[in-house]
Amino acid sequence: MVTGRAGAWYEAPVQTAPTGSIVETEDDPTPIVLIVATTLRRAEETPKLAAMMRNAKGNVALRSTVDPQAATIRFGDGRVCVVRGVAADTDVTISTDVNRMADEDAPKPKVAGAATHARLALTASKVLEPPIGPWRDEARRFWARIEHHPRTPRGVHVVCTDERSQITLGVEPVEFEIHGTAHRLTALFTGGTVFGQEVLDGHLYAVGSLEHLAELTGRSIDVMTGRL
Amino acid sequence: MEAAAVPGWLDEHDVRWVKTESVSLDGLVVGKHLGRAKFAKMLPRGNAITELVLGYDIGGTPYLAWWDAWRADALGDIYQRPDLDTLVVAPDRAGTANVLCDFVDESGAAIPSCPRGVLRHVLGGLADRGFAARAAFEIEAMLFTDALEGARRRHFADLTPMATNVPVGYLHHNSRQQLAFVDETIRRLDGLGIEVEGWHDEAAPGQLEINLVPSDPLVACDAVVRAKQVMREVAMEQGHVVTFMAKPSAEYGNGLHVHHSLTRDGEPVFYAPDGAMSPTVRHWIGGLMASADALTSFACPTINSYRRMVGFAAAPTVASWGEDNKSAAIRVLSIEPKAARIEYRVAGGDANPYLVLASVLAAGVAGLDAATELPPPIAVSGWGLPPGRFPHLPTSITRAADALEADTGLTAGLGPAFVGFWVNTRRWEWLMFHTTGGDPMATAVTPWELDRYFELA
Repeated sequence: MVTGRAGAWYEAPVQTAPTGSIVETEDDPTPIVLIVATTLRRAEETPKLAAMMRNAKGNVALRSTVDPQAATIRFGDGRVCVVRGVAADTDVTISTDVNRMADEDAPKPKVAGAATHARLALTASKVLEPPIGPWRDEARRFWARIEHHPRTPRGVHVVCTDERSQITLGVEPVEFEIHGTAHRLTALFTGGTVFGQEVLDGHLYAVGSLEHLAELTGRSIDVMTGRL
Repeated sequence: MEAAAVPGWLDEHDVRWVKTESVSLDGLVVGKHLGRAKFAKMLPRGNAITELVLGYDIGGTPYLAWWDAWRADALGDIYQRPDLDTLVVAPDRAGTANVLCDFVDESGAAIPSCPRGVLRHVLGGLADRGFAARAAFEIEAMLFTDALEGARRRHFADLTPMATNVPVGYLHHNSRQQLAFVDETIRRLDGLGIEVEGWHDEAAPGQLEINLVPSDPLVACDAVVRAKQVMREVAMEQGHVVTFMAKPSAEYGNGLHVHHSLTRDGEPVFYAPDGAMSPTVRHWIGGLMASADALTSFACPTINSYRRMVGFAAAPTVASWGEDNKSAAIRVLSIEPKAARIEYRVAGGDANPYLVLASVLAAGVAGLDAATELPPPIAVSGWGLPPGRFPHLPTSITRAADALEADTGLTAGLGPAFVGFWVNTRRWEWLMFHTTGGDPMATAVTPWELDRYFELA
């Protein structure tokens, strides 16, 4: 029998509250809970947003308009906890098409409860869209998270098709190429999209083996769900 | 049978077509229909088949989030190596033979994610330690009067059980309604050389249980795979549908209980008169208990599996063992020398028999190797206990996968490459549920589960 362990695309156990973070998740979290928590942890990196989260009080639900996915963010006592579903005591509900959030022409989310909880709604809108950098910076940040995984390609060349610029991540020889617009590259590198799905949908292009396509897809899910 | 004897055998039985049968990780039976000349020409390595048969989920979506060493850089073939000991004339189709196959690579080496190969690997380790095992499965299924096409159109909802709606088991009133189905099933199983020990009506409306005779572990698993396939085909041909889904409705679920026994030098290892267990038995059961959480990943492989794991519904809910205790995960029957055995009761009807038995045996071997002592037995009902009295078995596909990943002894026994791939597939199943329409807040079986598992699990 062949030996040697298959590379896990989802190896690390979930950290319910990573060191230094005020953002926790429920036990056995759903994907959308992990994604929301990862977004909030990114917001924590901006001092102003971190302060907004610490000072917030109330419950905000994020609900998909196209499937049953939903999560509730509970702000209070200087901490944040993300749980599955729309809680009965939700103050603000944000409804959005989760499949189109990365699109440039994504429909605007609908917010219910903002009139009576304006401050909470404003906090939620800010922390759920933390600042992001230029695509090159986000690419380097993404790479720093995934490069040590044993099945990540050694070198990845990224071509931005609308800015006509490119960078190489990792070392030569380049084993894989990713092509796409600055917007789609940024969405990928910030954990907003799943690489394989982006390629299947024609938003990004790939040059390389299916093995590397699959492994990079796994890494993109890891980054999206906060496992890397 | 040797490869050289195959042409003569095909002549003797007037075989024109050979149906190759392999089993995927999700228990799907996959293969090809080969003309006799092609089949004979491909021996001994067997015919090529796309590697996707081990590379897609039960819903047909390719696993596009990790890779493995046995897969080609792009997309390639693997091979179905026939086990010629399983070559048999098809009882349902003139001029056809069926043969079970292992997945191998181009060189003929075993592929670590082949379920049949995983069991062979574990049995090799058992034999190296001087033991031989036998096993027998209890197959539970639910039979509905509806025809397959109509059931598909209704997404397997609101079907009519082939029995009274009253959930009482062992009713001959129900058995009589199922007789035409069971008679034809047993006729075909006889033709395949699979001996049925008995069958009966079971607790859920339309549920029946078929018990297969004990045999060599590989043969026992082969029999389950073939029996389930026959049951699906007979139901379809008679205008009905059958499911092995762990929990297709709010009624009792479908289990796949497996009994195993060990012998050493011909003597039954599990025989323990007066409850005096040998160190071997203690360590074996200790191994099963130490890996109880990890074993659940194989025993309960789908999102739906965990709906079956509720109290007072025949499925165990806590990690426990007990002498003749049907509420325990591990039921020990040790007082009769010829019937001394262990019944593992966690597995659902949706489990892959090769992986369930391989993991149970590997856990026992790990217990022997580590001289694992067993915890106290459960002498009371395993259902309705206050929290914390006995550890609860994993309650989700992700928790079971986490437990398996952390179980180094079981992983070593099954093969790290296989376990890594399997754990990824279970996390993928979790991802598919949540991102393709499954409702994690639902307290009852969802349309997503019925669509995904009813027909194929």
